[in-house]
Amino acid sequence: MKKIVIPGELLSEERKRLGGNVFVSDGKIYSRVLGISDDENERATVVPLEGKYNPQIEDTIIGVVSRVIHAGYIVDVNSYAESFIPRSALRNGELKVGDVIMAKVTDVNEVKEANISFPKRMFDGDIIPVTAVRTPRLIGKNGSMLELLRNGTGADVIVGKNGRIWAKGGDLELLRKVVFFIENNSYKSNLTKAVEGFFK
Amino acid sequence: MRNTTLEYDVSKAAELAREGKRLDGRALDEMRELTIETDFAKNAEGSTMVTLGKTKVMAGLKMGVGMPYPDSQDEGAISVGAEQLPLAHPDYESGRPSDNEVELARVVDRGLRESKAIDFKQLCIKEGEAVWVGYLDFYALNGDGNLFDSGSIAALVTFANAKMPKLDKDNRIIQKEYSGKIKLARFPLLTTFAKVGGKVLLDPTYIEEKASEARFSVATSDDGFMTAMQKGVGGSFTLEEVNYMIDLAFKVADNTRKKLKLK
Amino acid sequence: MTEQNVDYKKTKKRLDGRKMDETRPLKIDVGVIPNADGSAYLEWGQNKVYAAVYGPREALPKHSANAYKSVIKVEYRMTSFSVPDRKRPGPNRRDQEISKVLSEALSRAVFVEQFPNTEIGVYVEVIDSNAGSRVACLTAASCALADAGLPMRDLVAATGVGKAYGELVIDLNKDEEDAPDAVDIPIAILPNSEEIVLLQMDGLLTKKEWEKIAKLGIQGCKDVYAIQKEALQKKFKLGEASKKDLGKKTKKKVKK
Repeated sequence: MKKIVIPGELLSEERKRLGGNVFVSDGKIYSRVLGISDDENERATVVPLEGKYNPQIEDTIIGVVSRVIHAGYIVDVNSYAESFIPRSALRNGELKVGDVIMAKVTDVNEVKEANISFPKRMFDGDIIPVTAVRTPRLIGKNGSMLELLRNGTGADVIVGKNGRIWAKGGDLELLRKVVFFIENNSYKSNLTKAVEGFFK
Repeated sequence: MRNTTLEYDVSKAAELAREGKRLDGRALDEMRELTIETDFAKNAEGSTMVTLGKTKVMAGLKMGVGMPYPDSQDEGAISVGAEQLPLAHPDYESGRPSDNEVELARVVDRGLRESKAIDFKQLCIKEGEAVWVGYLDFYALNGDGNLFDSGSIAALVTFANAKMPKLDKDNRIIQKEYSGKIKLARFPLLTTFAKVGGKVLLDPTYIEEKASEARFSVATSDDGFMTAMQKGVGGSFTLEEVNYMIDLAFKVADNTRKKLKLK
Repeated sequence: MTEQNVDYKKTKKRLDGRKMDETRPLKIDVGVIPNADGSAYLEWGQNKVYAAVYGPREALPKHSANAYKSVIKVEYRMTSFSVPDRKRPGPNRRDQEISKVLSEALSRAVFVEQFPNTEIGVYVEVIDSNAGSRVACLTAASCALADAGLPMRDLVAATGVGKAYGELVIDLNKDEEDAPDAVDIPIAILPNSEEIVLLQMDGLLTKKEWEKIAKLGIQGCKDVYAIQKEALQKKFKLGEASKKDLGKKTKKKVKK
């Protein structure tokens, strides 16, 4: 059965395959974080419910320029550290503070700074902030939830893994409402069905 | 879990204001939802929690016995302090009071003191020997702009509800025994505006304060007086704008007083 | 109100009516400060405290950073009106010491080595007090850290325990702290392993008394832990998502 677990909570006294966000002490498996765990799962694993963005290679992120320096731009990526884009990375034009970019994480160093590449400036549009660890539910299996959001609101939607949804056009108010709903119910079952039913 | 896009929001706020809109969908002259809670701190003579939108400010009053000032032998005094707790915002720092905190405390203090809302003679215990000193300190618990108005409401409501401690025959405070209340002659409240994208906005949020070119606060009382003013931040206002803000401030403060049953 | 003639051995009950091993009512809510990465509000008898966590974030000043782990920076403060005699603003030596021991207790609970070069700011503010504010703050802070989604080996559960009016008691209040024979011992553990991460004491105590007190204290911490756990879990209600919570779909023309 699925349940909410807290850091240090015992998940299994038996040996099990280890998934994410767990640790072993004296042969027993414990959760490292506040999250959800299913004891019927063959692996001991916890899906976190809270937490900052932990950058991973290949992630698509939405960044905001927070400072302009001589060599380029300091970008707020909603993580432990800021990222940097050299001026030369932008094909044309310049960025100013507050500008929004989409980029890919190409490397993460030992202090969790994300190296971001292929920046693309996003014109107009809006950002909807969400809890970073809950973004997978906004994409859904094979992008099914994202597809629902796009079709249901007519908006151009990009989910930044760093907890930022970028959207343009369509019914933005409706999108905000549904994104908020998904974020707040990310740990519940039947989520896709509920959203599908709503848009019908 | 906090998630901000500060720089983006700040530029967006200015852009929206130019079109007469705000990030949170409010009208330019609309105040955020206000709720209060009183008397939660039992060691205080009075305490008030003010929630204004996402801004949360708490105030508490401690009464002390002191010597009167040489030039006012029969008058007590008040002292107002303000702190932006590092608990309340990632940008707030601990350490000695910042310029912002000192200004905040002084503007709230002036609105109360110079308005003669509190008759300092009633705070006299024995002329020339002992007077009451009211130490009112307020703290931001979650900072989302307009600490001026939320602090002013918290301070006024705290004074209005405070219990006066009892004294023994040597003028020492008897713990947890009270007699009477502080009477207020009038109820002045601050109303604050920010100029963003060339427009005047009532009750600015943190983002709007960051985006602002200028700020203006005016304290107005229930009996028709302006009791304090303060213009802040680098930019400027026209006289028409100032007059518009004063007119609106009287209405806004009246509404707040009605809502909080201050009279 | 120091009661000189009280004898708990005779009264069998404490001044506030509690049993010797009974903790004052404890209530915890998490996620109460929107600006924070994690937060908690706690009421424990008359004690009322807020805790907020910011981070992990860049450690400032830079020389405070550690290349192998995150530094947990705790600031324990009291509002001026949280005590019977007004407290002057600004930290005093007591605040500084408490901040230090709280930081050390929390550092054992968090997997700090996972975030080198960063700091985790933990701010605790006492807004009303009646003995035991530091253990209230530690209990709240550990909930706030979990609420921030930080990886931890366990929560930190704390309580006061000690001696007053001739008996060994848990969770002393102010009247008991003022007893002529009072010994107050703040203690905190990681509940799984029962590792002790905070322990302070002053007063006169025999080794025998200590052994009993330690048992009482560890049991007290475990009672606190149960409430911490419930506070963190109640933020989330498992079950099925319902489209009803989305309300009516407002009619607006949607461009495709």
